[in-house]
Amino acid sequence: MKLCITSTGKDIEAKVDPRFGRATYFLIIDTDSGVLEVVENTAAAGGQGAGIGAAQIVSDKGADRVLTGRVGPNALKAFQESGIKLFEGVSAQETVKEALARFKKGEYSHTAAPSDVPPRGQGVGRGQGRGRGGGRCRQG
Amino acid sequence: MQTRVIKALRPELITAYHKKPFQTPVIGVTGGKGGVGKTTVAVNIASALEDMGHRVALVDADVDAPNAAILLGMELENSADVFTTMPLIDEIKCNSCGACVEACRLNALFLPKSKAPLLLGACNGCEACLLVCEENAIRRGKKHVGKTYKSNRGNLTLYTGELIPSLEESAIVVEKVKERVFQEAVDFDIIVVDTSPGAHCNVIKALQGSDSVITVTEPTPLGAHAFELILQLLDIFKLKGTAFLNRADLASPDDAMQSIAEEHNTSIGAKLNTDDELIKSYVAGNPVVKMLPESASAKTFVRLAQEITREYRI
Repeated sequence: MKLCITSTGKDIEAKVDPRFGRATYFLIIDTDSGVLEVVENTAAAGGQGAGIGAAQIVSDKGADRVLTGRVGPNALKAFQESGIKLFEGVSAQETVKEALARFKKGEYSHTAAPSDVPPRGQGVGRGQGRGRGGGRCRQG
Repeated sequence: MQTRVIKALRPELITAYHKKPFQTPVIGVTGGKGGVGKTTVAVNIASALEDMGHRVALVDADVDAPNAAILLGMELENSADVFTTMPLIDEIKCNSCGACVEACRLNALFLPKSKAPLLLGACNGCEACLLVCEENAIRRGKKHVGKTYKSNRGNLTLYTGELIPSLEESAIVVEKVKERVFQEAVDFDIIVVDTSPGAHCNVIKALQGSDSVITVTEPTPLGAHAFELILQLLDIFKLKGTAFLNRADLASPDDAMQSIAEEHNTSIGAKLNTDDELIKSYVAGNPVVKMLPESASAKTFVRLAQEITREYRI
């Protein structure tokens, strides 16, 4: 299992970053082998769509679980589309190492799919649940 | 995050930007701050020009809150829908290469593992995804974002842009209402464009192609701040014009406003004191030049209209 934890630094002693889209780093941990990959979140600097951009990075890196503080609706939809399971609720006070230990003990609960977006399983028609996503306010 | 300050754009770009295929002069009315009287000035100058027998097009380019029709007591007529592109992705043609996702500056597209991309975020219709798709798997879908209107009364034709509330594609609606009037420019002796407040893309689009700009302001700290910003914008886009100091009696002397104007080589072409008769006409929804032609306000607007006719020989 490849678990992505949002982090403020490049190693597991760093504090967790409770934001997802604007997180500084993603620490992707192979929980079987213990191998750690550090990925910079290049989507964080963008003006808009950081959540989707960040979800793209995490998905491309092959993570199948994400542990963070809180995720916005667009990133949540992206996770569902990629079959990534989301766990929310880490706080800024804990280190990545502590969060990982708590995750292994099952202390974070899996964020269920929002009711307005039906999950898209195998063989299910594509048309459903494709939020067109228009109309989000953009400053400037 | 770094802020880049644009000091100057290449002159040939500016020339190309303002180029238009007709002779009808275009006068922009702007001001930076909201509530300084931009629409009042635009409506009254347009009405004064109409009274002189000219064929006038007035453009209400404040598409988030168009209100010139209210001040003129006119109805919005002859609507035309404004659409932007929304990408429609053909999952059969798509080879999941991800080029469109990379091209999207707004990160609106998401490519799930080994599937076709999905539009999850806010799309502004830029069509970059269509341009980069080598499989031609993306088609132009349409998103309705607003309307333009054309209302007519005598020699005055009002063009109005209106964005659907909650949407963000205001600059596209400004562009479309400008396009509509510019296509019909030969029908008019003069075009007056009233912009939204601010110094952002909607204002830039509204002022594109202006031969001169009237900047409306007021002698207050907020007015001075916005005056400085809008004059900076006009400098960048090489737009020339004069300032209109509204409610000039709010602060006397008005040295602060004078020095801002001088810094940007702009003269204060008109000063208007707070005028009860102007307020009366505002409440009545009837331009002061028509309702109370003897008032100080009406005389100021008529003088400005005469100056425009002399300058552009219309």
